[in-house]
Amino acid sequence: MTALITAIANLKGGVGKSTTTVMLADGLAYYFGLTVLVIDLDAQANSSQMLLTERGVQMASDQGKGAHHFLKQFVDREPPAAGPFIMPNAVTLEELRVAEEKDERLGWVAALPAHPQLRLNELSLEEDWYSNNGTPSTLAKALGDHMREALDPVLPLYDVVLLDCPPHLSPLARAGLSLANLFITPTIADAVSTWGTKQFSQWTVDNVSKDLAERNFVVVTRFRNSSYARQVQAELREIYLKDRAFGPTIPESIHVLKAMDRAAPDSYNTFKGKYGGVSGDVHRLAERFAEFAGARTGVSWPRMRS
Amino acid sequence: MAKNEKLDPVEYLDRFFDELRNEVRANPELASRLVKALGGSVVFDSGDADAVTNPFIVAAEQDKAHFYALYAPMKVSQIKRVLKENNLATAVDVRGKTANQLIDMLYDRASYKVSERRMKYS
Repeated sequence: MTALITAIANLKGGVGKSTTTVMLADGLAYYFGLTVLVIDLDAQANSSQMLLTERGVQMASDQGKGAHHFLKQFVDREPPAAGPFIMPNAVTLEELRVAEEKDERLGWVAALPAHPQLRLNELSLEEDWYSNNGTPSTLAKALGDHMREALDPVLPLYDVVLLDCPPHLSPLARAGLSLANLFITPTIADAVSTWGTKQFSQWTVDNVSKDLAERNFVVVTRFRNSSYARQVQAELREIYLKDRAFGPTIPESIHVLKAMDRAAPDSYNTFKGKYGGVSGDVHRLAERFAEFAGARTGVSWPRMRS
Repeated sequence: MAKNEKLDPVEYLDRFFDELRNEVRANPELASRLVKALGGSVVFDSGDADAVTNPFIVAAEQDKAHFYALYAPMKVSQIKRVLKENNLATAVDVRGKTANQLIDMLYDRASYKVSERRMKYS
């Protein structure tokens, strides 16, 4: 068995990529007992902060963990290896922690976190690469090859790898997209997000995956139930992205915001306590994605909890 | 309205301050904001403090002794509510903790949050 690599990506910022990543990681670990690795490729480090807290992100960096250190490995032409940069424990759910304590692991979350230094390292790499006649495409290809080789030994340890991509086509994001088996596109039901989603979709078809429609799972997030939002969502589903699979619509909710603000690196919460009024949405997100992944790739993930 | 009444300035001010006094008594949040705007330090009855104080601001602006003086009179259930409502702890985190342990947790986590939000990444 090897992990299913899924990129969570959209050119538009603020559409819930990191939130969707964390919700899905928790949902797949909790309901299906999967071991999930979250790789944060976005220098804003939002999913890393949600899983580890800000202090945890800095502590990880101080310990040599994180995507910026991984990028340095590439720059320094060291042998590809992702393992040393992974935080093996990024679990926030009490049920998963307790099960592990009893030697009965029922789902787990690990993270290769990002850090704001990542963008500076990328800029430095881009300057060097382009000044030596390299192009964005050759850099993305070289990084993709490095990442593939680096991940190869660790993929059997995980069921799913979630790549949280930044809202722009950074070299590392392009490399990550080139490795993905499936693509999740979070979007918001408004005009500018629809525009960004269409642009991203077209770019991905042209440059990464001609069969994107087959491998794309769209999630409308931060949904405010108004006639305007319903109309835009209907357009997305019926016109622009009618050949895609849609996940559940995630409502705009204070529960989501609070769930993403971990109190401290040693703070845990029950699934119901963490997600409160959106527990059902996280459940449906995991369930629908599991069905989608099963239909597209043949993986079969039995439910561990009701 | 008062413009048709013939009151001297002191009576106008008395009426104004009476209204203000009544509102301050009934509304501890307003009282807190007013006293703070005047540069004072607010002391609450234990029943009011949990509804009004923001532990992040207290941790950022006051020393540890003031922090403990503010929260120590509260009941365990009130401290737990402050921790949970400010996303500083979950129900799991506070389970079985004593009042002192909860205040320690409140101070440590509020201080950490403030320092990490002020932190420059390196």
